[in-house]
Amino acid sequence: MSLSLKKTYTIILLLAIFMIIVGFWNPNALMDGLQRGSLYALIALPLALVLGILGVLNLAHGEFLTVGFYFIYMLNNKFGMDPLVSIIPTIIFLAILGGIIYYLTVKKVVNKGHLSQLLITFGVSLILMEVVNIIWTSQARNVYTQYAYASTEIGGFRFGTYELLYVLFAVAVLVGLQLFLKKTRLGQATFAVGQNPKGAKIVGINVEYVYLFVFSLAIAILGIVAGSMLPRTAIFPAVGSPFTLKSFALAAMAGLGNLNGILFAGILLGVGESAINYIPNYGGWSDIVFFGVLIIVIIARSYRGAK
Amino acid sequence: MKKNLFIVLLLIIAFTLPLYAGAYVMSVFNTILVFMALGLSWDMMLRTGQLSFGTAGFFGLGAYASVLIVTNMGFNPVVSLFVGAAFSGLIAFALGFIVLRLRQIYFAITTLALTHVFSVIIRNLSDLTGGASGTQLDTAIFGGNPTKLYYMILIIALFTILISEIFSRSRIHYAINSIRNDETTAKSSGIDVFKYLLFVFVVTSALQGLVGAAYAQQYAFVNPESTFSLNFLLLPLAMALVGGIYSTNGPIIGALILGLISEYLKLIMPYGHLVVYGIIIVVVVLFLPQGVYTPIKNKLLKSSIVGGDNNAQT
Repeated sequence: MSLSLKKTYTIILLLAIFMIIVGFWNPNALMDGLQRGSLYALIALPLALVLGILGVLNLAHGEFLTVGFYFIYMLNNKFGMDPLVSIIPTIIFLAILGGIIYYLTVKKVVNKGHLSQLLITFGVSLILMEVVNIIWTSQARNVYTQYAYASTEIGGFRFGTYELLYVLFAVAVLVGLQLFLKKTRLGQATFAVGQNPKGAKIVGINVEYVYLFVFSLAIAILGIVAGSMLPRTAIFPAVGSPFTLKSFALAAMAGLGNLNGILFAGILLGVGESAINYIPNYGGWSDIVFFGVLIIVIIARSYRGAK
Repeated sequence: MKKNLFIVLLLIIAFTLPLYAGAYVMSVFNTILVFMALGLSWDMMLRTGQLSFGTAGFFGLGAYASVLIVTNMGFNPVVSLFVGAAFSGLIAFALGFIVLRLRQIYFAITTLALTHVFSVIIRNLSDLTGGASGTQLDTAIFGGNPTKLYYMILIIALFTILISEIFSRSRIHYAINSIRNDETTAKSSGIDVFKYLLFVFVVTSALQGLVGAAYAQQYAFVNPESTFSLNFLLLPLAMALVGGIYSTNGPIIGALILGLISEYLKLIMPYGHLVVYGIIIVVVVLFLPQGVYTPIKNKLLKSSIVGGDNNAQT
């Protein structure tokens, strides 16, 4: 589902108006929402990539993130490596892990029905989470770095600067993915496989290889998320799990194959979530934003599809 | 004939268990029966071709409805079980009109999201539900008598088995199977697909609500974290898969196998014994898509037929 240029501008305009309103009401909510939303988008991009190209909803997405967290925690704990530096080995580690898991499980169900796909990734998510649980127990852990708590003040409004890194990374990953899909040969092949796997096979594209590559790439991107998020979050075996469903909410909202839309959707829901979070006494309701929007969007789409 | 004898034997064992088993064994079987009933109800929905991830949600709704009606309105706990079932069924009926339009991953994900929505709503209606810390009852149902609790759960499990059997033997199963195999064909043969889906969705959700209510009354306690725990989705699902989906016997056998294995593992492995469930799900989906029940049954049938032939020849 590709959006026309005019429609994209309308969406950006509406998003900007919404953000300005929230900004006037409470600048903290806007800043927090922007940072949070970029993070959600950053996590959702690889999920959407796998969903778009392989057609598989990876329910183990969040658990791969958890594994990334613990890998970085281990590097920090054993070798004193800075979390941001350890992004690079983590990307390599996750790419290999993703490749192996793809080869052992997901590969066998790519062409089967959605039931097998959902169940098998469900099983993988349980295995990853429980293995982390066995190795590191359920005790919460964290990594302290000085720079993660830096803040700046602009006109009397004080905000944390470290989390702006999420915005930077989200934009960088999005631009990188778009360039990869449009400019490189492998990217174009990937795009073709996503459009029509049978046709791609006929013109000589190695579909199996593309699937393996895309799955590994998607899991590897989570290394960036893990490294940048770890200084600000305590980790425990279920830390990544909620992100799977949130990522799917963004992917469903943006529409299949619309990577730019994921960033907009992420920021919109992020700002919405943090705006509700800042309403006194009603902060707890913010958790409902994603799930509510997810349900509404899916159902609205089903009605539109029926017509 | 042999089969009927076997079933009667199992029933006798099930009903006389409290006579010779201690409180620990009874509580193990109690848990197994709870998950067996949930697994069966999940499988009944799956027989229509719809993969529901909402088991934990309707389980939790039933649990909350039953506990709240006892604490706030002083209902009899036994009556509250039916209230829990009715409440879950009612919510399923209302939601069914919109949710059952969806198919495949969209249905699965929406039911999963609904589970989260239920738990967020209940956590935030703290005046009514006690919020994040939950609500406690003064006393468990039947004063917490383990034998009576066991019989309560046993009767609920048997009731679920009965409904599942009715579903797979009466005329309904033609409609259910044809919807699963090919919805368009089913529709063009004059089957009101939506009506059947809604019917099955409401019945299975009410069963899940009933089990949830019984579970909550047994422990005299509800809390958003533990009542809506995804374990009430995952474990029944794994059990049904292991035993074999689309049948009544599959989830029963799966629940017995996995229930006993996990009880044993819990003792030797305090952390992460659930990893076994993950491995089992993956292995079953990859190598045993029919579960353990159907292949074993076929093998037994085959060997008995072959044996018969041999006898005839000699």
